[in-house]
Amino acid sequence: MREEIINIKNEAYAQIMDAKSTSELEELKILYLGRSGKLNLLTKRIKEVPSEERKEVGMLLNESKNAITSLLSERRNSLKESAREWFDATIPGIKPKIGHLHLVTQAIEEISRTFEQIGFVRVRYPEVEWDWYAFEGLNMPSGHPARDEWETFFVDNPTHSKYGQTVLTPHTSSGQLREMERVKVPPIRMINIAKCYRRQIDTSHVPMFHQFEGLVIDKGISIAHLKGTLDYFARNFFGKERKTRLRPFHFQFTEPSFEVDVTCGVCGGRGCKLCKGGWLELGGAGMVHPVVLKNGGIDPTVYSGFAFGWGVERTYMMKSGLSIPDIRVLYSSDLGFLRQF
Amino acid sequence: MDILIPDSWLRDFLKTQATTKQISEYLSLCGPSVEKAENGVYSIEVTTNRVDVASVYGIAREAAAILPQFNLKASFSSIKTPSLKFKGQVSYLDAKVDFKLCPRFTAVLIKNVKIKDSPDWVKERLLAVGVRPINNVVDISNYVMHELGQPVHTFDYNKIKGAKMILREGRSGEKLTTLDGKLHTLKGGDIVIEDGSGRLIDLAGIMGGENSAVDENSKNILLFVQTYNPVNIRATSMSLAQRSEAAVLFEKGLDPELVTLGMARGIELFVKLTGGRPQKEILDIYPDPYKPKSISLDLEFIKARLGTEIDKKKIDSILKSLGFETSWNKGNLQVSVPSYRASDMSIPEDVVEEIARIYGYRNLPSELMSGALPEPPSDSPFLFETEVKNTLKGFGAVEVYTFSLVPENFVEGNALKLKNPLGSDSEYLRTSLMPSLIAAANENLGEKEPFHLFEAANVYLPQKGSLPEEKMMLAGIFSDTDFREARGVVEGLFAEFNLEGKFNPEESAHFAPSRRLVVSMSGREIGQFGVLENGKVYYEFDLALLKKSLKPRSFRASSKYPPQIEDITLTFPEKTKIGEVIESIQATDKLVSEVELKDIYKYSYTFRVWYQHPAKTLIDIEVEKVRDKLTKELKNKFGAIVKS
Repeated sequence: MREEIINIKNEAYAQIMDAKSTSELEELKILYLGRSGKLNLLTKRIKEVPSEERKEVGMLLNESKNAITSLLSERRNSLKESAREWFDATIPGIKPKIGHLHLVTQAIEEISRTFEQIGFVRVRYPEVEWDWYAFEGLNMPSGHPARDEWETFFVDNPTHSKYGQTVLTPHTSSGQLREMERVKVPPIRMINIAKCYRRQIDTSHVPMFHQFEGLVIDKGISIAHLKGTLDYFARNFFGKERKTRLRPFHFQFTEPSFEVDVTCGVCGGRGCKLCKGGWLELGGAGMVHPVVLKNGGIDPTVYSGFAFGWGVERTYMMKSGLSIPDIRVLYSSDLGFLRQF
Repeated sequence: MDILIPDSWLRDFLKTQATTKQISEYLSLCGPSVEKAENGVYSIEVTTNRVDVASVYGIAREAAAILPQFNLKASFSSIKTPSLKFKGQVSYLDAKVDFKLCPRFTAVLIKNVKIKDSPDWVKERLLAVGVRPINNVVDISNYVMHELGQPVHTFDYNKIKGAKMILREGRSGEKLTTLDGKLHTLKGGDIVIEDGSGRLIDLAGIMGGENSAVDENSKNILLFVQTYNPVNIRATSMSLAQRSEAAVLFEKGLDPELVTLGMARGIELFVKLTGGRPQKEILDIYPDPYKPKSISLDLEFIKARLGTEIDKKKIDSILKSLGFETSWNKGNLQVSVPSYRASDMSIPEDVVEEIARIYGYRNLPSELMSGALPEPPSDSPFLFETEVKNTLKGFGAVEVYTFSLVPENFVEGNALKLKNPLGSDSEYLRTSLMPSLIAAANENLGEKEPFHLFEAANVYLPQKGSLPEEKMMLAGIFSDTDFREARGVVEGLFAEFNLEGKFNPEESAHFAPSRRLVVSMSGREIGQFGVLENGKVYYEFDLALLKKSLKPRSFRASSKYPPQIEDITLTFPEKTKIGEVIESIQATDKLVSEVELKDIYKYSYTFRVWYQHPAKTLIDIEVEKVRDKLTKELKNKFGAIVKS
């Protein structure tokens, strides 16, 4: 039988090499490899072979089938185009209509996902807020020079006897007291993402923007925990090799207060034109001031906490390396811009 | 506030081999942030609580504490003032001072001053900090202010009538011309000085009066160094919009002890630069001198806030390098605060900050908190909002963010107004997303293809005596899109969330006649859909109500018995409401399980109808019966004619 196999194989080779068209090749495929093709007929007769040789003959049969199969496809591909069925695979596809989520939505999703992984709970608090939550309760009494840093919009609404004037929240920190009032008994791990408003407009400022505010309150919360959280965020949001550092700063509602920097993604922290000695400024942070805890109904002798609040747009641009020369384009509705993301 | 500090000037008080680069970097890590150092001048950001470092002297003191932490030798050369004679009364000036407004009042008469240009080294330093040199007397004031952070004023002594001063609160309506020539009408509550003739000669802490100013003929000068109540200074400075450098310093609350140094340096420079002869005795009205305040805290507290242990010796050396005095009683630490830090040090957390920043935040551990996790609020809206947005994106929609602050013509009825808008195009809080989305669509007039924009944002509905209701709305606009296609997108959105919306025609402003539908779910109105007057299709839904209408999906076993499906084409008279026809088909018989409009051609409508029985396979005769019933009803109700 071994000879028979070799003969059939050689015969097949010769005929395949002579074939002039795909249809001829198709016929040869049936003739040799089909269900009742020549090789299959031999397979059915394998029982006739003495059992000690059977294995070897079986292997030979398989090898021959494989060899014929690959020769067939080789020939099929090398036939001239005119002899093949015409098909133009270079033609472009028909796309479905593609929608787009706004850059800010994408940023908010990523930021909240990162913090949710370490147990933070996302919340949203009023954008139109009493002065108490935005300033007074955050240890910034009226007339305090620290208020100058926020170019605050005031709303024409009657002054509340306890909570004061109505403002547009210039920062998400106003959510700190709201969250303390909601939770009442720590633990608190809050991520508050909301629209904020400041009275300024130029290529790097828009009167409406977004911030995200983290607040953690529990027993024994320390600066080390703030560092741990910021490093976690830097690694998971910006990239594995990124690190953060704290520098001293001042806010009325935290003590101590910090400015947070992250290593520059462009130069890897060695220093380049885009950064300051290898570092980029992320935003403010600090340990929650005991007066603020007290204002939120939480005993500062039992609990401590930290907070940070940064711009969504700014942080996201630092991640993606997007350089948008005029930030105002984010809030235009130009499809040319919106479809890029 | 940002200040400029020339490196050469800094080194008058800071003895160190550290380079400019090292000083910049290490100051930023442990103290005030050096934004840049160019041409030998540091640009430094000073926070509102640290007015003590808003000067060459203050930065030198701070740097001397910080540099040794980086193994760089540094020492601070303080100004010594042993020979000055401060007296409660002097012969050359009779002063009555309200010490609530002015905790410390000092002045000295300097005779025979020769007004001329300052020497080059003074001019150069002033230019380096951005101050234009004028003459030696003016330059001395500026020099001392930048060196020490202590504003200094000078009067022409001969213009102070009766050699008399009354420092008091200004009265509403009083007028005063400051030396920049501006006439101010006071609101009251300002700090002013009146001379023996009753004239106001100084708007204290803000700017001197024109009538007492030093000029080229002045000979006798009164050198004037004070601290003022910061609240009064700030109120006056803000209301008159007179933000002088002096006011910006005074409003942060200056150290009364600094006055001594200001006086010492002022006198020294007057002698050197003007040849003037200072009187021996300096008037000093200082009824309540600084008594060091003390803060008490435990080592345990320090450890708990830092998240690591620092030994007592290290804590001691850090605090001492900053000018604090310390004493330990076992685990308890008493910290005595120097006068120049009195305004920003009051609670144990303040002491922790001092220890931690000098020790170095980089040296503290970094770890995630352990402990129990908080429960999220049960009605959290975020997941649903994200899913809605993603669904619309999947349908080809493009999300926009438009401003919540809108012009007057974007609001109707009651809306909140800003007291201090940036302009009339953004003076109201919007109560509807519709005008914003129309504007957004109009921004893309050049677009040739149909498009669909959407936004999820708050509208602000005023409520009496409280904050407005902030309602999260989902709204969208279709341009160049057919009514049915747009409605299909909305129906698709509902289908994705298993929401059942009822659409009822109801006219309303802004929409084209007969082209608006009110959408309700579970008997509650949740929004609207329709063609606007401008031909664009608009929809808006209350997202919270949409979420409230969600029902859990229930499992229904798929029938073992296949449906019979057939297309029926009918013609209807003009003005037939096809929505009602479909409802009628559905209501014909229990065996009609589904109806769909497949095709429209002129007045012919093709419906695909599913007939199905839950427990058996329908045979043709059974289907025929239902079909006959169906066509008969449609004929009776709507005048439908079956097309073969």
